[in-house]
Amino acid sequence: MSEGSDTAPVAAAPLLPRAVRVRRGGVAMACILLLIGLVFVWQASLLDFGGLGLPGPGFFPLALGAILGATSAVIGLACWRESDEEQTVELGHYDVLVVFVALLAVPTVFEWLGAYLTLGLFGAALLILIARTSLWLAVLAAVIAMAGCWFFFQLLLGLQLPAGLL
Amino acid sequence: MTGFDQLIAGFSVALSLKGLLYCFIGCLWGTIVGVLPGLGPLAGMTLLLPLTFGLDPTIGIIMLTGIFYGAMYGGSTTSILVRIPGEAASVVTCIDGYEMARQGRAGPALMIAAIGSFVGGTFSILGLMFIAPPLAKVMIAIGPSVEVVLILLALGVISVVSAGSRIKTATMLVLGLLLGTIGLDNLTGTARFTFGNANLAGGLSFTALAIGLFGVSEILINLEKTEAIKAIRPKLRELVPRWKDLRDSAPAVGRASIIGFIFGIIPGVSHVVATFVSYAVEKRFSAHPEEFGKGAIAGVAGPETANNAVTGTAMIPLLALGIPSIPATALLLSALTIHGVQPGPLLLTDHPEVFWGLVASMYIGNVMLLILNLPLVGIFVNLLRIPYAWLVPIILIVSIIGVYSVNFSVADIWIMVLSGGAGYLLRKFGYEMAPMLLALVLGDRLEENFRLALTMSGGSYATFADKASIIVLTATVGLLLTVQALAWAFGYRKSFADEAEGA
Repeated sequence: MSEGSDTAPVAAAPLLPRAVRVRRGGVAMACILLLIGLVFVWQASLLDFGGLGLPGPGFFPLALGAILGATSAVIGLACWRESDEEQTVELGHYDVLVVFVALLAVPTVFEWLGAYLTLGLFGAALLILIARTSLWLAVLAAVIAMAGCWFFFQLLLGLQLPAGLL
Repeated sequence: MTGFDQLIAGFSVALSLKGLLYCFIGCLWGTIVGVLPGLGPLAGMTLLLPLTFGLDPTIGIIMLTGIFYGAMYGGSTTSILVRIPGEAASVVTCIDGYEMARQGRAGPALMIAAIGSFVGGTFSILGLMFIAPPLAKVMIAIGPSVEVVLILLALGVISVVSAGSRIKTATMLVLGLLLGTIGLDNLTGTARFTFGNANLAGGLSFTALAIGLFGVSEILINLEKTEAIKAIRPKLRELVPRWKDLRDSAPAVGRASIIGFIFGIIPGVSHVVATFVSYAVEKRFSAHPEEFGKGAIAGVAGPETANNAVTGTAMIPLLALGIPSIPATALLLSALTIHGVQPGPLLLTDHPEVFWGLVASMYIGNVMLLILNLPLVGIFVNLLRIPYAWLVPIILIVSIIGVYSVNFSVADIWIMVLSGGAGYLLRKFGYEMAPMLLALVLGDRLEENFRLALTMSGGSYATFADKASIIVLTATVGLLLTVQALAWAFGYRKSFADEAEGA
């Protein structure tokens, strides 16, 4: 290797997607499931447990929450002890994040903006951000798609979607 | 009316103009979703679910089932021509199907896949026709305790036959059962885990969860793949297989029909497992096992036949017992319930037109698919030229409208989005979604029957070990052991891991 290459500045690793170690991610996932199990156990304990012979509404979720907690703990321990240190999973891919954030926006404004405006904006945003189309093409495609949706769902199927601002 | 009379009555429904039209729409849409990567039968069925609301239940179910088996047909096209499985059950077809296409034999591979699908599909419909009615009669006589045993067995089998980690599958099962407890308690009316939110009183929407966990998570995972799709385009005149191809595939088609039939009844990942077992069986029986992986036609015929044989058989537990064995039949159960039809032992007496209309339509649909798939293969392959980034907004917009229109609730869109994100993360770390969804569907009935059985027996757990339960238990365990022995004997687990990596 030449001297030059030794001293050349190292390109910074891209921020996204991030490589997450399977061990760390697996344990985190198991902890989340454990937490869900515990929340169910806590909430179920507030319900009528009944008896072993005559179970009440709290019996089933309490037992299931406890089992979920136990299996999650086993998975977490197994991940910690057995996972390969070097094995990684990529998380935070740009397109995935864009689509997920756009999806989160949809129910937030669905009734206020109206179904067609919300979904039109959603479609146009995705076309620009992940299909890398021009603005005018994205808008045109969104308008055509919404007209198609209106024709199919509202006119043919008679589905009343929220009108919102329109 | 005898069974034959009822079948004739079923054909009169399926052959009506409406029956034929909706069967065709289902088969066509099913083929399209099968061809497109990232859209499986479940997403395809959910997207057209709103279309069934204004229809007669029989016609609606005919269309949804057409999507289900149409997707199985369509999945083989992309496996063979592009080496991208349209849906999970077509993974194994990629191995020899794509090799055949590379050798200029895409036509015969497609033709044999279509013929095998037709034979396997028809074989399973015969099974559905002859097994479901007597099974339903037996089931009418059983009580809640046996139903508990059956559901527990179904859930147990899912974790045993699952291809992934068993403890993770079991965890997903329990999570599904837990999510099923959200909403009003069926027996006492007590609100559970609703936190005062009226939207949760009826429980989590199955459709929203199914689309989120399967559809949205699949789209998110596919977005990470950047490789361009290059399809091999066969000419119509190249479709005709040689005599040798037919001779080599015939035994594989026969064996795979039986394998698919057996695996169809087993809950869980039956389609996928059946295709891998069939592939392993063909390799074992072949006089030239070295040809497998290099374009052996039996490696296409076997898995494709098994795949479609499972489709019809998977309807047996759904229609006769009311127990779905795969997520797609779980959605059918949900759709039937929306239409006020309860699948299970009483379906044949209360709604015989639904059962026999469906059976008849499956015969017709199989013929339609055979006609539809071969001449139009070029058009279906052209669908793959649409960039995936263009498909994503279209699929998601239709999914959102579909999910919203079931209950006209924004809460369902939230459930879809959040479960999509959760499903994406869980899948990244090796958790399977199918067990969770099946448990979610069965959870309600499990709990209700469990508590009902204990109430009826005065709190005695011995009720779960009565004579009928033991017979059901023994029969099912026997079947399970046979299937497991078959699977292990042909090394499906090993082949599953190896071939899935290679595909």
